[in-house]
Amino acid sequence: MSAGTDFVRREPADLLSPESVARRRRMVRRASRSTLRRRRLVGNTTRLACYLALVIALVPLVALLSYTVERGVSGLSVDFFSQLPVPEGVPGGGVEEAIIGTLIIVGLAALVAIPLGLSVALFLVDRRGKLAASVRFVADVMSGIPSIAIGVFAYALFVVPSHHYAGIIGSFALAVLMLPIIVRADEVAMRTVPEDLWDAALALGARPSRVARSVVVRTALPALVTGNLLAVARAVGETAPLLFTALGSSLLITNPFQPMDAMPLRIYLDGTQADPHLQTVAWATALVLLAFILVLSIVARAFASYATRHAR
Amino acid sequence: MFAAIVVSLLVSLVWQAAPAFRHSGFNFLFSGNWNPDTEHFGAGVFIVDTLITTGVGLLIAIPVGIATAAALSEFLPRRIGAPLSTCIDLLAAVPSIVVGLWGLLVLIPIFERDVEPFLQKIPLVRHLFGGGDLGSGLLLASVVLAVMMLPTMVALTRTALQGVSVADREAALALGGTHWQVVRRAVIPGARSGIQAAITLAMGRALGEAIAVSLVIGGGVNMPHSLLATGTTLGSAVVNFFSEATGVQRSAVIGLVVVLLAFTTVTNIGGQLLLRRRGGRTGAVPDQGVLLADAEVVPA
Amino acid sequence: MPPAMLGRSPQVGIDGHVDAETAAGEFAVTLEHVTVRYGKVENAKQVAVRDVSLAFPRNQVTALLGPSGCGKTTILRTINRLHDHTTGKVNGVVRIGDLDVYARETQPEIVRTRVGMVFQRPNLFPTLSIFDNVVAGLRMNGVRKREFLHEAAEAALRQAALWDSVKNRLGLPAVRLSGGQQQRLCIARALAIEPEVLLLDEPCSALDPMASARIEELIVELSSHITIALVTHNLFQATRISDRTAVFLLDDDNTGTLVEDGPTLDVFQSPKDPRTLAYVTGTIG
Repeated sequence: MSAGTDFVRREPADLLSPESVARRRRMVRRASRSTLRRRRLVGNTTRLACYLALVIALVPLVALLSYTVERGVSGLSVDFFSQLPVPEGVPGGGVEEAIIGTLIIVGLAALVAIPLGLSVALFLVDRRGKLAASVRFVADVMSGIPSIAIGVFAYALFVVPSHHYAGIIGSFALAVLMLPIIVRADEVAMRTVPEDLWDAALALGARPSRVARSVVVRTALPALVTGNLLAVARAVGETAPLLFTALGSSLLITNPFQPMDAMPLRIYLDGTQADPHLQTVAWATALVLLAFILVLSIVARAFASYATRHAR
Repeated sequence: MFAAIVVSLLVSLVWQAAPAFRHSGFNFLFSGNWNPDTEHFGAGVFIVDTLITTGVGLLIAIPVGIATAAALSEFLPRRIGAPLSTCIDLLAAVPSIVVGLWGLLVLIPIFERDVEPFLQKIPLVRHLFGGGDLGSGLLLASVVLAVMMLPTMVALTRTALQGVSVADREAALALGGTHWQVVRRAVIPGARSGIQAAITLAMGRALGEAIAVSLVIGGGVNMPHSLLATGTTLGSAVVNFFSEATGVQRSAVIGLVVVLLAFTTVTNIGGQLLLRRRGGRTGAVPDQGVLLADAEVVPA
Repeated sequence: MPPAMLGRSPQVGIDGHVDAETAAGEFAVTLEHVTVRYGKVENAKQVAVRDVSLAFPRNQVTALLGPSGCGKTTILRTINRLHDHTTGKVNGVVRIGDLDVYARETQPEIVRTRVGMVFQRPNLFPTLSIFDNVVAGLRMNGVRKREFLHEAAEAALRQAALWDSVKNRLGLPAVRLSGGQQQRLCIARALAIEPEVLLLDEPCSALDPMASARIEELIVELSSHITIALVTHNLFQATRISDRTAVFLLDDDNTGTLVEDGPTLDVFQSPKDPRTLAYVTGTIG
């Protein structure tokens, strides 16, 4: 029974006999040795394939940045920042109104969204119940709503009744966009405040939210700033919420109750023209927009590392 | 407070879209005919185009994303992997309008000149790529969407891979596995729900993308016959048609928004649920409630 | 019985090393002046455990005993080169039979097929069935034949005292087993590749007393044909099941050292080192 092929059904005692153990051991060792080279080769090949994927993933970023810089730089000039758009075919002109428009629209949105988001986050941070969990869940799902839907929503809510396009309605749309991001970021920022800070303050008898407001907010301030700046950086680049609300303009408008221009809208308008000059303006505006976002992100990260370096 | 915003958003949109539904009934979803002049409003084409572009985009973004995340998390030393991850994350910060501009002014000419003729020469597959010679189209839109999905895929997958505990990795290591075997048999399966969440959330992002897509997809309103055909997704339809639409047409466009919202909300809810799931761990059931009791010894 | 079955013919493997299947010798594993350091610089503070020389007799249970943090697990993990993947650096010589574990030509994967390991908490592959978990090591080493896999699985599960409970449900997800069963499944998984040495790192620490008792029975049974190294901080466990005991304590530098090792009875009843005496009587640790 023991001679011959290994594949005969064996009795338990036979299975665990020293001969069977030795036989199995030999087979495993032999297989292990003879396949090691191949296994290593497969591993190395896969590793190379993953490196290749990494390169592929980096290509769009590099290409995007280099094209934007290359084609946008030539459009930059003092005029670019200080003049208003000119009709097609006429040289010169700038996008001053778009830059100012972005600043105003996003500024107003932030003015509303940041305090509102902070208060919702404060509500959430000292609660662990089902209600809090569902609010968090809704916030997370909301952050995935397509920005075009938010734009149409703002349109239906405000533009239709008032028969009026206005920059401030665009601000509303952006605020709706920013709110879930800010709420979640703020809550995370405050949760990372060490536990004993909480306990110490609570031991003094303060109500949880009062503790939060005074002590935790101050301690978490750098992380809060990070989260808010990143939300603003996101809002600065959004086009769809503004398409049907602020509408766009070629005039320098500072009254938010009028239609206003913004950088993304400008890019959308100019980039879709056939005139190469206008396309260059679009690239240049895109470059400025990217620079804005880059600066905001860098400042945000600086605050984040400040926060971790000075954590208790 | 939140609830108020969400509910009012839904209500106002549905209310505005209602006339369109009354007008065309269920055909709205299934008819492929969108013709303002004849007052036929069928979203079928847009739904199909949305699914195609998102689907092909995922086909590109998923393997590239997972492989990239594996490279960053498992193969590269931390000193190199961390800054490169930051670079990939930077891609997520690029606004869709800039990606769209790049697609419009840079990729379309490239596609028209080089990529599409090339694809039309490959035997077998080329039947997928018949017809188009415009550069813009479903394929380019899919590529653009893949580019936009990649940072999400990479970041979430990387987090999931790094979250696999040392103990799980050592289980495979101690059995004599090579590095790749450990990754393949312990790390990637351990990160499964995280990877599923990554895919779902990336899909949600792609479904909702309107601006970038509208700039590269060409705007055709017929059922696509090939990947190089021009088309219109739900998002790009809204961008293209909204401003000039009046009356019933406007309601129809808003109806498109509702359909889009339905798609993305379902996808996002699924993704968030997956993120919250701590599934797949060695969830040892306490000894009282075992499903396989030791007491069930079969008499020899 | 054909001579080949006794495994006396040495084979030269791809690591260039002569490897006798059942290596002759009284000791299955020997450690000579092994020191483990963490971090980059040769810094005294970062030495985890210093100058350990220890021999593990074949087919016996040797307990590595001591309070937490004294280097028992660190030493255990030098045997199957698990420190390769951490910042730990191992100096000294570790031998399994004739094989020099840390020699340059030695492949770590080959080392690990000779040594099985069971961890503190069951770390089954959560997405796999019971059967797939048991044969995972075999598959990873290139063993494919279905009949062999089934034979090895049954042998391993029988040795782990799990066969009768699971033989009809091998396709079920492994995570549905109880804690004690999962740990035994981990033991079976380690046994399936027929290692000559089994390393157990506090295998009962996550289990209730009944499940622990079962595992202890198992360890004693297995020691009849496998060399066992058991890390534990439980003195009673050491007295119950080990043949030899090695006591690890922290010295004044806060590095782990091997204080004493010998037959278990001797170590507990007539220890040679005063520190051992203090430890086993509960004065310290």
